[in-house]
Amino acid sequence: MSRLLAILGLLLLPWALAQRLVVAQGTDPTTLDAPLATDSPSATVVTHISETLFELTPEGKIVPHLAEGHSFADGGRTLTIRLRRGISFHDGTPFNAEAVKFNLERLVSRELASPFAFLLSELERVEVVDSHTVRLRLKNPFAPLLAHLTHSSTAMQSPTAIGRLGAQYRDNPVGTGPYRFQAWQKGQFVDLVRNENYWGPKPPTPQVRFIPVPEGTTRVALVETGQAHVAVRIPPQDIARLQANRAVQVVRTPSLRTIYIYFNTQRPPFNDVRVRQALNHALNREEILQFVLGGIGRVSDAPIAPGIFGYTPVGRYEYNPQRAQELLRQAGVSTPLRVTLHCPTGRYFQDIQVCEAIQGQLRRIGVEASIQTMEWGAYLQETQRPLKENRIQMAMLGWGTVTGDADYGLYPLFHSSQWAPGFNRAFYKNPEVDKLLAQARISTLPQGRQALYKEAMARIWQDAPWIFLHSEAQVTAIRQEVQGFLVHPTERYLAYRASFR
Amino acid sequence: MTAYLLRRILIALPTLLGVVVLVFLMVRLAPGDPAVLLAGEFATPETLEAIRARYGLDRGLPEQFLIYLEALLRGDLGESARSRRPVLEELKTYFPNTLELASAAILVAVLTGIPLGVLAALRPGSGLDLSVMVLALLGVSMPVFWFGLLAILIFSVGLGWFPVAGKGTLAHLVLPAITLGINATALLARMTRGTLLEVLSQDYIRTARAKGLAERVVIFKHALRNALIPVVTVVGLEFGTLLSGAVITETIFAWPGLGQLLVGSILARDYPVVQGAVLLVAISFVLINLLVDLLYAAIDPRVRYD
Repeated sequence: MSRLLAILGLLLLPWALAQRLVVAQGTDPTTLDAPLATDSPSATVVTHISETLFELTPEGKIVPHLAEGHSFADGGRTLTIRLRRGISFHDGTPFNAEAVKFNLERLVSRELASPFAFLLSELERVEVVDSHTVRLRLKNPFAPLLAHLTHSSTAMQSPTAIGRLGAQYRDNPVGTGPYRFQAWQKGQFVDLVRNENYWGPKPPTPQVRFIPVPEGTTRVALVETGQAHVAVRIPPQDIARLQANRAVQVVRTPSLRTIYIYFNTQRPPFNDVRVRQALNHALNREEILQFVLGGIGRVSDAPIAPGIFGYTPVGRYEYNPQRAQELLRQAGVSTPLRVTLHCPTGRYFQDIQVCEAIQGQLRRIGVEASIQTMEWGAYLQETQRPLKENRIQMAMLGWGTVTGDADYGLYPLFHSSQWAPGFNRAFYKNPEVDKLLAQARISTLPQGRQALYKEAMARIWQDAPWIFLHSEAQVTAIRQEVQGFLVHPTERYLAYRASFR
Repeated sequence: MTAYLLRRILIALPTLLGVVVLVFLMVRLAPGDPAVLLAGEFATPETLEAIRARYGLDRGLPEQFLIYLEALLRGDLGESARSRRPVLEELKTYFPNTLELASAAILVAVLTGIPLGVLAALRPGSGLDLSVMVLALLGVSMPVFWFGLLAILIFSVGLGWFPVAGKGTLAHLVLPAITLGINATALLARMTRGTLLEVLSQDYIRTARAKGLAERVVIFKHALRNALIPVVTVVGLEFGTLLSGAVITETIFAWPGLGQLLVGSILARDYPVVQGAVLLVAISFVLINLLVDLLYAAIDPRVRYD
C-alpha cells in the first residue's frame, strides 16, 4: 500500500512543484480573439494578453491605459486620442495609430459580426493623425464612448498576427499586455507567461494557468487542496465551510449586474405611480438579501450598481407595509389585488427563490402575486413583445452594465425611444428623464455627466417603473498565500498584480 | 458473414438518418429565438441580423435541413457558433478524452465486477455473497453525482491520494474512472453471479465433476466460459452507455471530454456542436452494437449468421 502511495506521489509531483498561479474558472474560454469573447472566462484570459485604450478601475473611474490622453471637439462629434509611445505587441509589431484604426474598424466590420459591435455604433470613421494620434469621427455626439473603449472587446491586438493567422488568431492571441500567450489545451488549461518586455509594472508572478472546472464544489475542493490558488463563483452552500478554512480567504466583489422586477407602466394597475411605490415599500430587501441570497449581493440604492461610471446612491425604499397599504388605498386599489409575476428559473442567482420571498412579502399588503416561470428563451421573447401584444404585468430581469458606463445602464432601459422590442420593457416614459439621458450622451465633461445621471436616476427612483431589488456579487476563494489578486466588477479575474507570500 | 455485415450496416443507415432528423428538429423547436441566445441579451437588431445570416437562421426549416444534410455528406459538420471553430475540430479535441475515460471505466468494471460476481456465485447464500450483492445494489442505485463529489471529498481533500480534477497524469484518471464505472461494475457483478449460478446447475457441469475434473477446471474452463457469453454483450452495451453517460462524471471532475463540450454547447444553444456531438455518440453506439453482435459469433460457436 505504501509503495502504491509513493508511486502515486511521484505521479502527482509535477503539478505540486510548479510555482505558477492556477485559477479555476467555470468554463474554458471559447475564443481568445477579443471582439468575439462574450463570456467572462474568455474575457478574463484576453484581458491578460491584450489591453484597451482606457481602463475602468474597480471603483468605476475611467483612466487612460494604452492611451495617454484624449480630447473631445466639434461638440462631442470628434474624439482625439494620443497614444503611449514605445509600446510593441508581443510579436514585435509596433503599437501605433495604424494599429488602433485597424482594431476599431475590425470590431465594427460586418464580416466579423462581433456581438459587441454596438459599442462603437456611433463611430463613423477612424483617422490616423500622426504615428501616435488617432481621431474618431462620430455620427452623433456620444460621450459614453470613452467608457466603451475600456471594454475588453475593444482591446488592441497585433494587426500583423491577425493578418497572418486569420481565423486561427483565436488560438494564438498577440497583444501588448503583461502576459503573453503560451499554450491552450482545449478543455484543460490556458497557460500564460510573463511579458518580460512589458511597458508597465511587471507582474510578480511569472506564470498563470487558467483551468475550466464546471462544478462549483469541485472548484472549492481544488482550492482547499491547494491544487488551484483561485476559484471563481463559489456556490453558496460551500461558503461557510471555506470561511472556516484558514488557508483560504473568501472574497466578495459587487458585480455590475442589477436585479429588478419591472412593471408594465402603461396598463392598470401599474400605470399608477402610487401602486408601484406601494410595492416598493412592501419589500424587506435586507431580509431577502440575508436569508434568500445568503448575504451575497447588495441592496440597490440606484437603478445601476456601484462601480459603473455615473453611479450615485439616490435613495432607498424603506420597508413600510403601512405606508404601502396607505398608497394602495390612495390609488383606489381594492385588496386583494391579484397580479401575475413572471420569473426566470436558474438564470440569476436564486432568482425563483427571491420571487417566492417577494410573493410572501407582498401578501402582507394584500397583493396576491401568482408566479409564472418559463424557459429562458421563451421568457426573453415574451418580455420583449411590443406593447400591444405584451401580456406581462411584472417580471424579474437582470441587467449587466457591461460597458461600465451609466448610459448603457439607463438609456436602453428608461429612454422612451427604447420601448420593447427594445430593452425598455416597462414601457416607461418620462420626458424629463428622456431629456437628461440624451444630454448626458452629449455632455463631454465627466462631472457634468455625473450630475445629469444623478438627476435622471432620482426621477426614475421616484417614478418606480421597477421594484428595485439588489445587485449581484461574486464570491471568489483565494488561497491565503496569494496576495494582490483582483476580482473586477466586470466579472474579470486579474492576476497581474498577484504574488505569492 | 459478409452478407450479414452488409445487412447490418444497411440497417444502421436509416437509424442514423433518423438521428440526424431528430437532433436537427429538437434543437430548433426548443422555445426562444436562437439568434437572440447566440448574440446575447444585449445585441442590437443589426447584430441579430448579422448572426442570423451567418448561421442561415433566416431561412426556412426545410431549407436549413437540406443545407445541413448536404454539408454533412461532404463531411462538413459546420462551425461552432461560440468558438467559430469547425465542429469536427471540436469533436476531435474532446472525443478521444471521453473514449479514454469510458475505456478506463469499463476496465474497472470488468476487472472488479466479474471477479466479485464469480466469488459470490461460488458461495451462494454465504456472508460474502450477501455483502457482494448489497454492494452491487448500492453501486447500481447510487447517483453518480453524489458518489463523485463524495469521492473527491474523501480521497482528494481528506486523504490527499488523488488530484481533485482535470486530466494529466494517470492519477487524474482513477477517481473519474471509478465513478463512471461504478454502475457498470455493480451490474456486471450481479449478472456474472446470476449466469454462473445458472450454468453451474447444468448437466454438463455435473458430468465434468463426475468425471473427476479439478474444481478449478470445472469452474474456469467449463462453467465460466459459458457464463460469460451474455456478460460480454452487456459489457459492450455498457460501453456505449458510458460514452454517452460520461456527461455528469466529466462535469464533476472537469474532464475535458465530449460531455463538457456538449453541456456548454446546449446552454449556449450552439446548434452545430450539439448536432455534431449527438451524431457522433449515436454513430459510436451503432458501431458498438455491431461489434458486439460480431463478437458474439466469435465466442459462441453455436451462433451463426447466415
